[in-house]
Amino acid sequence: MNFSIPKETYTGRIPEIVFGKEKKAYFGGESALPFHFFEGEFIYKPLIAFEIQDDIPEDYPEELAKVYSSVWDSPIKWAKFCETLGAEAIALRLMSTHPDSKDSKPEEAADKVKKILSEIDLPLIILGSNHSEKDAEVLPVVSDASRGYNCIIGKAQEGNYKTITASAMAGGHSLIAMSELDVNLAKQLNILITQMDFPREKIIIDPMCSALGYGFEYTYSVMERIRIAGQIQGDNMLCVPMVADVGFYVWKTKESQASESDIPEWGSLHERAVMWEAVTACSFLLSGAELLIMRHPEAINTVKRFIGDLFS
Amino acid sequence: MLIIGERLSVVSKKVREAIIKKDKKPIHEIAIEQWKAGAHMIEANIGPAEDEGEGVMEWMVTTIQEVVPLPVSLDTTNSKAMEAGLKVHNNQWGKPLINSTSLDPERFVMFELAAKYSVPIIALTVGKGGLPRDAEERVDIAAQLIEKAAEFGVSLEDVYLDPLVLQISTSQEQAKEVLRAIKLFQQLNDPPMKTIVGLSNISNGCPKHLRPILNKYFFALLMYEGLNAAIANPAEIIEVVKTISIINGKTLYAHSYLEI
Amino acid sequence: MAITGIEIFKLLPKTNCKKCGFPTCLAFAMKVAQGQADIEQCPEASEEVKAKLKEAATPPIRGFVFGSKNIKIKIGEETVLFRHEKKFFNPTVLALEIKDTESNIDGFINEVLESSIERVGQILKVDAIFLKNESENSEIFNQVLDKIINKAFDLPLILGISKPEVAAKALEKLKESRPILSGATPENINEMSEIAKKYNVPLIISDKGIEKVLKLVEIARSVGVQDLVIDTQPNSAKELLMDNTLIRRAALKKGIRLLGYPIITFANRDDNFYETVIASLAILKYSSIVVLSSIPKWKNLVLFTLKQNIYSDPQVPMQVKQDIYKVGEPDENSPIIVTTNFALTYFLVKGEIENSKVPAWLAIMDCDGLSVLTAWAAGKFSASKIAQFIKESGIEEKLNHKELIIPGYVAMLKGAVEDKLPGWKVIVGTKEASGIPAFLRNYVRSKK
Repeated sequence: MNFSIPKETYTGRIPEIVFGKEKKAYFGGESALPFHFFEGEFIYKPLIAFEIQDDIPEDYPEELAKVYSSVWDSPIKWAKFCETLGAEAIALRLMSTHPDSKDSKPEEAADKVKKILSEIDLPLIILGSNHSEKDAEVLPVVSDASRGYNCIIGKAQEGNYKTITASAMAGGHSLIAMSELDVNLAKQLNILITQMDFPREKIIIDPMCSALGYGFEYTYSVMERIRIAGQIQGDNMLCVPMVADVGFYVWKTKESQASESDIPEWGSLHERAVMWEAVTACSFLLSGAELLIMRHPEAINTVKRFIGDLFS
Repeated sequence: MLIIGERLSVVSKKVREAIIKKDKKPIHEIAIEQWKAGAHMIEANIGPAEDEGEGVMEWMVTTIQEVVPLPVSLDTTNSKAMEAGLKVHNNQWGKPLINSTSLDPERFVMFELAAKYSVPIIALTVGKGGLPRDAEERVDIAAQLIEKAAEFGVSLEDVYLDPLVLQISTSQEQAKEVLRAIKLFQQLNDPPMKTIVGLSNISNGCPKHLRPILNKYFFALLMYEGLNAAIANPAEIIEVVKTISIINGKTLYAHSYLEI
Repeated sequence: MAITGIEIFKLLPKTNCKKCGFPTCLAFAMKVAQGQADIEQCPEASEEVKAKLKEAATPPIRGFVFGSKNIKIKIGEETVLFRHEKKFFNPTVLALEIKDTESNIDGFINEVLESSIERVGQILKVDAIFLKNESENSEIFNQVLDKIINKAFDLPLILGISKPEVAAKALEKLKESRPILSGATPENINEMSEIAKKYNVPLIISDKGIEKVLKLVEIARSVGVQDLVIDTQPNSAKELLMDNTLIRRAALKKGIRLLGYPIITFANRDDNFYETVIASLAILKYSSIVVLSSIPKWKNLVLFTLKQNIYSDPQVPMQVKQDIYKVGEPDENSPIIVTTNFALTYFLVKGEIENSKVPAWLAIMDCDGLSVLTAWAAGKFSASKIAQFIKESGIEEKLNHKELIIPGYVAMLKGAVEDKLPGWKVIVGTKEASGIPAFLRNYVRSKK
């Protein structure tokens, strides 16, 4: 019996995102569901950005401290270290601006960003601290300070998208739009952003990542639904790339921190922690993320191998 | 939902006069208005057009496609005029649609044209023996139309079954039969048969202010039963299309769904 | 794959005799297609049309049960490509491959027996042993089989045997259970099918690629084996994803019966990290059985959790048991937080309390697994219910304070809860779990 491949009909192609000035990075552009090479074209591999923070992290567990504690006192040192590890892009999270952390000022954050841009030529993603009100103050100032460097700014949410969108537009940047595990809210946020004349082709959806075991399946299914709506059901507003901000959520979990002596039935901490991040990330590649923000180099390498294998 | 703008029809005095005088302006205006209102296709209804049918159809099709990037639905019983329109049609924005054929053997020539030019065709579920009385009769005729299409070499995916909408003021009970027929038509084949209606027929002969009301609510019910396409006034139905699409789960909801 | 009105109509006599109770054959055919009439109503209906209808009613992907006398596992019978369309039903079976040439068989058996852990009220474990006839020798294989039967008679088995004679001898020993027989290839498909049929065991069919496997499936079916498992030997993640997706699509969307079977993935890789990733891909993308080369506890935890997550019912929230949980080592001075028993709420709140390094009591109330706002709207997380829960829990005796922290989203309940819990003070906590660490640290500081 001859087997003819049952192909899906697609209505939309995901736009391509290019960011960075001296060095550029690319993702997006697929014309079919994740890695369905038999029925579409995939011009770029998914991109992994290494996360760094603007100050010494307050909540990095031991397994991450082992890797970064010698460089995390300076974002520039940290970024350069990531470069030696093979980073193609850096995600700078301005954690110190969070009111519960150092509550540092927008101008201080902007200064840091300017310094980093002058010393690092890797493409840059700039993330706020996820505190909605503070981000509304910080991100516009930072967008302005990085004007012309073609960065990705994140994250705009329903409560604060107006100023962040306007400044990202003025700065010529791409924008991460985050909604909380809800397809309809994700669509609505994109409508609101595009109604401000921000181009749909420069929006990246963040459906709100969850670690394995901590709501993972909610994120996974929301992402699958977004891809199907955007690429098969002709919903233009949802036909954009997605980001999985993996490290931020995975390294809060008990599974990434508890030692084997504390919980013997969980086995060795190092492998467990690295795999918790790697498997969460690989799964979200399958549900549609074109951009991953990750922390542990061994997890990143495993995911890179997976991507290579998928593109073989 | 395939929305076909109905307003360029010889039923309208303005359009009749424009055709006679070969005045492009009103045609352009109405075509553009319908396009902006959300039409995916523009209907050119020239009627039986016994005089100079070919010239009229060619003029209509080219005039419309001068100003809107849309395909045209060709509505005439004159098969020579139909063929002239198909020949001159600009296919870059989509194929033209033949409106229509039926089980009346005099109309089979339209099936031939559909096969020859490889274009979709509307098939009315009416035969030589008078108007269909209920959904079951319509389904019976539809089954025969499907056979005929296959005979002529027309792909079933190119056939739009039209259950013949009758005016509610004189045939009130037929409204329900049309709704049932739309549902049953789809079950005749896999993938489901496509369906279409001439929407405004439901309110033919009603007072002017009632027409949009009857059209809209009837359209909502038709959409619920799975209707694929409609020849209608786009401005009148666009809100219904978007809203029922959300209720039916075909489009994802967002608070600003009417704005996009 | 549903059969349409026209297809049924074509197989009817078309006499419009009305014996079925309908005016025309077409009308009757339409009703049968919709499930509103029975084909038996037509006395003239042919065996052909009846057979076609029966076909259409069979599940698109075969399901079957295998296992030991006391432990029965069902696999297959899936109905959707995406879990949000309905649910994935029968969770992936995880099996440890043991070669019959290994010296430490006992060690491996123990690992499998000791693999179980509990998470959100479910026991998760390595489900089966894939015993590989690496020696190609029947006696050696049966010796190892004996060891397994003695030590772990309840453990479901998959027998990886390529020689039909070895298979037959092994299956003689296992008549009380229903193991799966693996190892049918183009070279031995006929004999293996006969053996599978004779002993009534499911058969795993293996060849390179879907088209080749189809041929083997046809042969096995013609011999009469109904329970089959497919292995298309993908040698990359790319092929694995493609094969599994096309198989499930073909079965569900195109009604291709020959591909309507569960899939097995051999995840063994040189690198344990990478094997975990490949096993994860297989679990997420439609494999019913995944065979692993090793089962260290960290790897099991990852795969168990993934399996549990992806096979959960999108419509039914996961819940934890109502209780007053200790986070860290709380004492009589420690804060107490109350919230609902939605599993996600529990994990997030517990996690953030741990991140705060402030030991605390976490009072989890049964609200049918709803999250805070939903439970409140449904009247399950009400002031009186909270008060009753706290009173009945007896936590008051363990504390030397009477301050209860409630979730920020139900701040409006503060007054009502204080009314119903006389002597207690209610503190309004954060709306988001992420705010808990700062909140708790401030709270504890303010008490000093």
